[in-house]
Amino acid sequence: MNPLRHLGSLTIFFFWIVLISGIWLFIFFHTSVNGAYESVEYLTHEQWYLGGVMRSLHRYASDAAIVTLVLHILKEFFFDRYRNARWFSWMTGVPLLWMVIPLGITGYWLVWDQLALYVALISSELLDALPIFTDPMARNFLSEESLSDRFFTLMAFVHLIGLPIFLVFGIWIHVFRINRPNINPPRAVMTAALLSMLVLSLVYPALSQGKADPAVVPDSLALDWYYLLVYPLMNSWPPGMVWALLVGFSLLLCVAPWLPPGHEPAVAKVDLDNCNGCERCVEDCPFGAVMMAPRSDDKKYATEAVVSQALCLSCGICVGACPTATPFRTRTVLSPGIDLPDQTVALMQQAIRDASRNLEGDRRLLVFSCDGSNKLARLNDRETAVVKLACMAQLPPAFIDYILNRGFADGVVLAGCANGDCQYRLGARWTEQRINRVRDPQLRNRVDDETLALLWTAPWSDFPHETAAVAAFRNTLSAADDQPVQSASPKVRGPLFRFTIGAVAWSMFAISAGIFSAWPYFSQLEPGNAIVSLTLSHAGQRLRECRKLTQEELDKLPPNMRKPTDCPRERHPVKLSFSSDGTIRYQQTLPPSGLWNDGESTVYHRIELPAGTHEFFIGMVDSGRTQGFDYQGRSEVRLQKGQHVVVEFDRLRKEFVFR
Amino acid sequence: MMKFKTRLEWKPEYSVGDASVDFEHEELIGQIDVLYGQLCGNVKAATVEAVLGEIHAGISAHFALEERLMLKAGYTEYGAHKDDHEDLLDQIHDLMDNYLKDPVGGRKMLRDRLTDWFGHHFASFDARLHKKLG
Repeated sequence: MNPLRHLGSLTIFFFWIVLISGIWLFIFFHTSVNGAYESVEYLTHEQWYLGGVMRSLHRYASDAAIVTLVLHILKEFFFDRYRNARWFSWMTGVPLLWMVIPLGITGYWLVWDQLALYVALISSELLDALPIFTDPMARNFLSEESLSDRFFTLMAFVHLIGLPIFLVFGIWIHVFRINRPNINPPRAVMTAALLSMLVLSLVYPALSQGKADPAVVPDSLALDWYYLLVYPLMNSWPPGMVWALLVGFSLLLCVAPWLPPGHEPAVAKVDLDNCNGCERCVEDCPFGAVMMAPRSDDKKYATEAVVSQALCLSCGICVGACPTATPFRTRTVLSPGIDLPDQTVALMQQAIRDASRNLEGDRRLLVFSCDGSNKLARLNDRETAVVKLACMAQLPPAFIDYILNRGFADGVVLAGCANGDCQYRLGARWTEQRINRVRDPQLRNRVDDETLALLWTAPWSDFPHETAAVAAFRNTLSAADDQPVQSASPKVRGPLFRFTIGAVAWSMFAISAGIFSAWPYFSQLEPGNAIVSLTLSHAGQRLRECRKLTQEELDKLPPNMRKPTDCPRERHPVKLSFSSDGTIRYQQTLPPSGLWNDGESTVYHRIELPAGTHEFFIGMVDSGRTQGFDYQGRSEVRLQKGQHVVVEFDRLRKEFVFR
Repeated sequence: MMKFKTRLEWKPEYSVGDASVDFEHEELIGQIDVLYGQLCGNVKAATVEAVLGEIHAGISAHFALEERLMLKAGYTEYGAHKDDHEDLLDQIHDLMDNYLKDPVGGRKMLRDRLTDWFGHHFASFDARLHKKLG
């Protein structure tokens, strides 16, 4: 029950934990500026035994989902399972990332503690860099007065309904092309995952970081690095560069399936002379690449198998399922109903004959290896011959019967990738079921199970492990009936040992999920500094004054267009200059917004200054004048360490305010 | 109950009601009939082996198709019918092996058992399937 073999489904399982715990949290959550923080505090402290645990589960399962998600991506990438027909699942996974991360971010936003305020400001700064909003969104979070309860309702909708719906839909699309997708991990893995998160929640409960106060910048924040990894970049990078990084990385992921080195093997081919439309290939194809279509020849069958070029990964599992892929046919060249053009069963049969020809002794072994267990070629010796297949399930069980009963070998080892590590997903599962005679085509009863061994390996397992297992199996072939038969598999440890290893592994997993959800701490400011935010939304004066039209001019116009005044829409840009102690800290010309340059000029800008007394000056020109300022403000401000001072323009009083 | 003591022969009343199954039954009966004729005559062992191999492949594919149709039709006797298919496949392997081990002696045994081998299944299990599909 290795969780590394169930990373995708484990991510979905964590999502279910997040969803269920989130429903409980929402029952008690107040969607208001003043109620949000308090309601979460109530859940955390007053109702710690349930609400607090649910909150911690909600957070840690979200973090664990990111861990398994990233491991899932890395595993698929390094095992080269993202190219050719797999491009669809790979590419549709990228938008899922773009849904999961905002889902976590909006969750932190809702708590409305100091971290939430930081998340709100940085997220807004990121969004403000996009040409979407006229007015900087970040300005809404500079004071509590500018924030309304409506905002929390909107955020709750996005977090609780909007994004989750898109996410579920996205997951459906992600697995859409996969036949029999593993949506749920094995029960033991689910139990271990839930228990580990539960223990973490009890030992290290998730806590808020003080109620959001726009006037204060905390010394340090316990940042959730799984979701907020790029946020600290905003301290030193311009938002455009952060966007370039995020979008660039996403695009790179999207085009990865087509980047070199690529290899596109020939897809499976149907031979209608040997296909009666039994659908076994359709049933076994892990990628839904084989479909049934109306018969195209004159045979009296209703349907025939058709292979989709776009979906087939040339794994050969369909060949292993075909009832006509039997080596007992000798009349012509062996040609089953479906076959791989590059690795035909005829070639497989020839390879078996060639490989067995030089074997010596009475314990001759034929070992079948697959794409993922390539290293087994080193097993070749006088008594052992290795035959390579695309996938273990490419081998029709009739071949095992053929090898053993026609004397090509004394034992057969099927050494492929274990379930969960199989390059083609279902190869190990189908092989085991066929060998155990519970899936068609079944291994014939007359095959002595003692002459057959299954050796499931992991791509990273060491070669001596397989060598020892094959040697152990060889010994069983010569063991007398009354001698205890050795297992071909490596020695399996006792349940206590396995439980201990599992407990340690899951503890490590939970600890890593917990640690990086709040550590290392992040400081927005250099020690002893404060922040000054310049914020403004002001329309420059019109480029030209309105002019009253003469009667003569009016008469020339059509009756419906006779407006008495002509007011040009364009406005002057606004020039803004801010200095501290005589040093200019900010100086920009802010263009008017709008397609016709007739909107307001806006700015939101953060400046970090050392604590202490400072002489601030701010001047603004909105008339196009070149000398002096139309509006100016001056103030001596005593900045406290970690203080957040906002400098803004009061529209009604037409003056600058320092607060 | 129908009993095949001698050579098999396709008759329209054997139809189970599915064109593809009937087509394959007819083909298989034809193949078995040819083989029976060869066994009575004087053909090479390799020729008999080749025909046996084709019958083995044909019968495997035929059973696969028939099982698919039974599952789709929700045939209640699927389990018993499927078990008989597996028994028949085991038997044909034995027949093939026996023949290969002793072509001279095996020829007579094959001739004696060949028609029964498939005939019994055809007359019992497939006849019952006829009621469902027909």
